Amino acid sequence: MHEMDRRELLKLAGGGAGVVIASSFFADRLLAGSVPASGVEMLQGRFGVGPEVMKKVLTAALSKGGDYADLYFEHKMSNSVSMEDDIIKESTEDVTLGVGIRVLKGTQTGFAYSSDLSPERMQQAALTAAAIASSPAPVSLPAFKEVALPHQLYTLDRPCAETPLGDKIAMVREGYQAAKANDPRITKVQVTLTDELQYVVIANSEGLLVGDTRPQARYVVSATAEANGKRGSGRDNAGGRIGMAYFTRPGLTPKEIGARAAKDALALLEAENPVAGEQPVVLGSKNSGVMVHEAVGHPLEGDSNWRKTSIMWDKLGKMVANPMVTIYDDATIPNYRGTLNVDDEGTPTRNVMLIEKGKLVGYLHDRLSARTLGLPANGHGRRMSFAHIPIPRMGNTMLGPGEATPEDIIKSVKKGFYAHSFQGGQVEDTGKFTFSVNLGYMIEDGKLTKPVKNATLVGTNLQILQEVEMIANDTQIFLGSCGKEGQWAAVTAGTPTFKIRQMTVGGRA
Amino acid sequence: MSKESLQSLAERLVAYGRKGGASQIEVTVEEGRERNAFVFGGEVQNLTEAGARNVNMRVFVDGKAATASSSDLAEATLTRLVDGAIARARLGSADPFSGLPQAQPLGAKAEELAIHDPAIGEVATEKLIERARQLETIGLADTRVKKSLGATVGTREGSRTLVNSQGFSGSFRRSAIFCNVGFQAGEGQNLLQESWGDASRRLADLESPEVVARKAVERTVRLIGARPVPTQKVPMVLEPAMTAWVLGFLARCVGGDAIARRQSVFVDKLGQQVGNELVTIVDDGLLKGGIGTEPFDGEGVPCRTTTVVEKGILKSYLLDTYWGRKLKLPSTGNSNGVNNLFWKAGSSTPAEIVKSVDKGLLLTGVIGLGLMPTTGDMSVGAFGLWIEKGEIVHPVAEVTISGNLGEMLKGVQMVGNDLEMRDSVDGPTVKFAEITVGGKGAA
Repeated sequence: MHEMDRRELLKLAGGGAGVVIASSFFADRLLAGSVPASGVEMLQGRFGVGPEVMKKVLTAALSKGGDYADLYFEHKMSNSVSMEDDIIKESTEDVTLGVGIRVLKGTQTGFAYSSDLSPERMQQAALTAAAIASSPAPVSLPAFKEVALPHQLYTLDRPCAETPLGDKIAMVREGYQAAKANDPRITKVQVTLTDELQYVVIANSEGLLVGDTRPQARYVVSATAEANGKRGSGRDNAGGRIGMAYFTRPGLTPKEIGARAAKDALALLEAENPVAGEQPVVLGSKNSGVMVHEAVGHPLEGDSNWRKTSIMWDKLGKMVANPMVTIYDDATIPNYRGTLNVDDEGTPTRNVMLIEKGKLVGYLHDRLSARTLGLPANGHGRRMSFAHIPIPRMGNTMLGPGEATPEDIIKSVKKGFYAHSFQGGQVEDTGKFTFSVNLGYMIEDGKLTKPVKNATLVGTNLQILQEVEMIANDTQIFLGSCGKEGQWAAVTAGTPTFKIRQMTVGGRA
Repeated sequence: MSKESLQSLAERLVAYGRKGGASQIEVTVEEGRERNAFVFGGEVQNLTEAGARNVNMRVFVDGKAATASSSDLAEATLTRLVDGAIARARLGSADPFSGLPQAQPLGAKAEELAIHDPAIGEVATEKLIERARQLETIGLADTRVKKSLGATVGTREGSRTLVNSQGFSGSFRRSAIFCNVGFQAGEGQNLLQESWGDASRRLADLESPEVVARKAVERTVRLIGARPVPTQKVPMVLEPAMTAWVLGFLARCVGGDAIARRQSVFVDKLGQQVGNELVTIVDDGLLKGGIGTEPFDGEGVPCRTTTVVEKGILKSYLLDTYWGRKLKLPSTGNSNGVNNLFWKAGSSTPAEIVKSVDKGLLLTGVIGLGLMPTTGDMSVGAFGLWIEKGEIVHPVAEVTISGNLGEMLKGVQMVGNDLEMRDSVDGPTVKFAEITVGGKGAA
């Protein structure tokens, strides 16, 4: 009841279990050595849904006077394999198949979906969605024009879905051993490798027809350390829209991921509670993307701005941050977790500048928010599945680098707090936010000293953006899953190390 | 698909899996229909109406587990998934604790639990829209409210059919109607927002739009002008919704997975004092008409009433079959988490509780994710009302509260008589001895 207007970013618990043996229809083709079929071919070949059927369904969708309709076909294979208690615990394979049918009438949306792709069922769902409008009019649709993808930003080479389960198991064991072997105080390790291959086809009443084939994989290790009655948990991960080769790159191997998770867990054994109160806060580069995601990204999503409930709705063109602050959302960075070729409405993705040298210059739009505000859509309409409506979402949200070094920044603080890793954060339309720090450090006389646990940072975005005082040049990326209105989306957020002059740190006095 | 055809689909898949080499197999078919009407600015912004189905399968081959699921109910897809799961299971490791529960008699028949009201499926969509409009209109009529965040009214109807190779075969239907509405108030940079809602398994029992909207308004406007307080340790009073929030965290800490993984503050605490005598917490899976009521859980284990904490003594964890076996305990029928978890009411009125506080925080809202089951540590952003000499003096925001669940339960000072079971997790007003409020002032 209380979450309806909150947004949160959770660092995935590695839960979910994810990956599998490739045994699907698509995988059969992959193994036969061909390139993955395009979604459009797949839809026609396997499910018999071609342009004629789509046109009929769209015609039904607009039959009551809607001014726009679209179909979103999704077929997704998700796999996972996980290890815990020294054994390969479980593997999963999940198949998602369905169509979402949406009708717009002004700012109003009618929506229906079906996991049955028979023409009769789709027709029925289309008529349900159509009912948002109530002034029947003759419908004439343009011929479909299948458009080519504006760019190919994923690695479709050696997709994880094609990898035999045995190889994945070996990979999971590697990270598990690395986390365990690190120290006998590590009492618990969990490793999960998840992957998915999602085929999407979008057809709309303006004649657009586009397919996108999206890989996604993630390798997560979490470790718990225990000693002298104290416990701490650390976590690390890597992934994106990548193939298996990704996990052989330096810093991204299962071994290194496992070792880092264990290192954080062990540091927490020594950690103390923070000193509560206002103080300078340095946000480390490893994880602090969560801060721009919450404090800037969410309040700049188009929906809460055309509805005027975001604290940012009337700030376009105004200075909202210290001039050293530049923030953008770029859904076109190759292979990133939050990257898309086209968004879930078929709009090509692009890099969207949000705050340029302190000035608010843009919002993140889906089709509805863009047209309501009279601005172009910019590739940020996303949906969790065929059973969800598109809403404006982030992709990869970045704070641009500054000129300082991380060392300069830490050195500049006499007494303060350093945030190393986060559990996540949450923000309201009002701009009030919270971040939960998993592991932090005290800064004393310009040096990182004692590890700190259980710290919470609170503030209001407009105020904190003014208080950004130094920005370094060591950008790193946080991989997350963002929840909004009950829909989860894969995102990243990146920042260099940066400093907030004064911020409220919660802890135990 | 009819109940019979879902059941026979599940049975066919179980037989197929057994024949294909699964030592055990469980098939769950979920089918449901949802309606959602979201109204903003007096206009329907989003109207969703749809049905979907999903099949979930768990397969075991000599103690090795694999699972699969599909929203594609084509039999070819499903049998392919069963074959794949058996092949995958063979590549896994044997786990002595894995496997399905034996079939057990149910504690109550689905029909006796009052969780399905056909009227919910029959109510016209226009009525849902109308109710959402009312929620917004009533709230906006209050001049202290600045904006609506929108109102939602929706229904859910669906069934679960579960068949396994251990002889269990069951099915039940349930329905719910729910509503919520949110508002914004305040000035300049200090905007505040709150919401309220209700849910019910019976159409007639849903709280009226007047009551829900007024409560949402009251929760919002009382925060106008909220400001931080200096950092300090004070007693804290939780409103019922906030007690429910703490219970939600407690539920994670007493879950079998957290205990067996030793990621809980309550590890090795069974039978021990974890709170004082004012703490009694019960999960009632068979509460008539309860939002969390079900005849059996996700593995076909009967739901039941489990006393988790009795007068401060930790009596039971909440367990499914797997984690129960690991802890050498029987499942409590909680494979889907809590059913209806509540903190037993006490004797004080909420007003008496506030009156008793010389200086402290009445917690009305939290923001953030800072809950650590491993240690019981809690640290989140907070909204509330500041109490001095038994009176509410001003609203509070931009502070944090920090404490430890284990310590807090030992310092419960008063428990209210205002428990209402309207959600699947509920509690009365509760006063805790001490919490750290982090706010203004240097560290």
